[in-house]
Amino acid sequence: MSALLAQVVDVDALLEVIGFSLIAGIGVTAAFSIAILGATRFADSRRDDHPLVAAGFAVLGTLASLACVAAVVFGIILMASKA
Amino acid sequence: MEGDVILVIVVGTALAFDFTNGFHDTANVVATSISTRAMSPRLAVGFAAILNFVGAFISLEVAATVAKGIVDANLITTTIVFSGLIGAIAWNLATWYFGLPSSSSHALIGGVVGAAFVAEGAAAVNGDGLLGKVIVPAVIAPLLAFVVAGLAILTAYRIVGRLRPGPVTRGFKIGQVASGGMLALAHGTNDAQKTMGVIMLALIANGTLGADAAVPTWVVVSAAAAIALGTYMGGWRIIKTMGSRIIKMDSAQGFSAQGGGAAVILAASHFGYPLSTTQTISGGVMGAGAAKRVSAVRWGVAGNIVFAWILTLPASAAIGGLVYGFTRIFGADSAVGPIVVSAFVIVGVAAAFVRRVRRGPSLTAAEDPV
Repeated sequence: MSALLAQVVDVDALLEVIGFSLIAGIGVTAAFSIAILGATRFADSRRDDHPLVAAGFAVLGTLASLACVAAVVFGIILMASKA
Repeated sequence: MEGDVILVIVVGTALAFDFTNGFHDTANVVATSISTRAMSPRLAVGFAAILNFVGAFISLEVAATVAKGIVDANLITTTIVFSGLIGAIAWNLATWYFGLPSSSSHALIGGVVGAAFVAEGAAAVNGDGLLGKVIVPAVIAPLLAFVVAGLAILTAYRIVGRLRPGPVTRGFKIGQVASGGMLALAHGTNDAQKTMGVIMLALIANGTLGADAAVPTWVVVSAAAAIALGTYMGGWRIIKTMGSRIIKMDSAQGFSAQGGGAAVILAASHFGYPLSTTQTISGGVMGAGAAKRVSAVRWGVAGNIVFAWILTLPASAAIGGLVYGFTRIFGADSAVGPIVVSAFVIVGVAAAFVRRVRRGPSLTAAEDPV
């Protein structure tokens, strides 16, 4: 049975799909969560008058947001280049 | 002349299938956004319809024509394509009636396989292709999305778990607009092309176009318009199943399900591994729910969905085969068979819609929010 499956299934492509899906799916969710964390902590720190901490969270949130935007752009490029 | 009549019927049927594809699969894209109130129902389906339309233009590679490598392309006739389409439409409408998400692509493949089998026998069907391109991915897609969405939501909870819930919920609702948009684009790119491929197959089989001809603009525009219109009409029963009957989800779960599903679909498309968008998103929804609490998933509903997945190929194949057998009564190349079947289908669908509308307002979006 496994020999038959190996014949008809492109195992390399399958492993690539699994790897890419895990990295992209978990990575984008993590990046977006960090963006929310950054934005929330930035607002809290600014309100508590901790400008340095607020600036740090602002940078963190911005970088994470940029990572999410990059992932969306990359996804659209993948769609457009589909062969 | 006879061939041209069949061609017109096939093109019309292909666009009708495209409409049911959008109608049936709206839930994949919008259900979680509506369920978590990231978007209002009307806004969500309008947004999805526009992005499905745009998605159809993003890539015009029709190389991955439906059923390529699964049935012998040299044996395909316009009547086989027609019968396969009827099988797919019938299965899509049946699963919509029961509110079950199922794969439109598998329904189409099943319909064509069944019709080809009845027309030309087992030699017309490539068993290895069916196993490698349809059955194995059908098992892997939902499992992979389940795992990805499950790990994604656990990661999200770990990062934002100690924050105030208000900003977190608002943040993930905004994120759902983007993740839902990606899904709608991916759906338009993948599924509208299947209809374009079917219409091209019929045009080439009829001798209207050469084998190397580019996709005519009217084919692209009509396929894009049909799937967008179907999406806008929305299969509200399936939206309800996907959005709230499997699990009651929060916005972080909705984002994880959509993001995980989109990642799996894009990865599979890129590496040439055909997956069903419906099965992928359903798996993502279940994974996002089960990761939080296994008992949060209504496993009875999930079981019904899996049962529909298993039935999709054989049921649509059986309908496609029966339709082909019926049309052949009137002659293998006669237009009478497809005309009679089309008339039956139109009358049947109209009667079903009238019956549903008379039964109450559950067909309408405004009165049936998720």
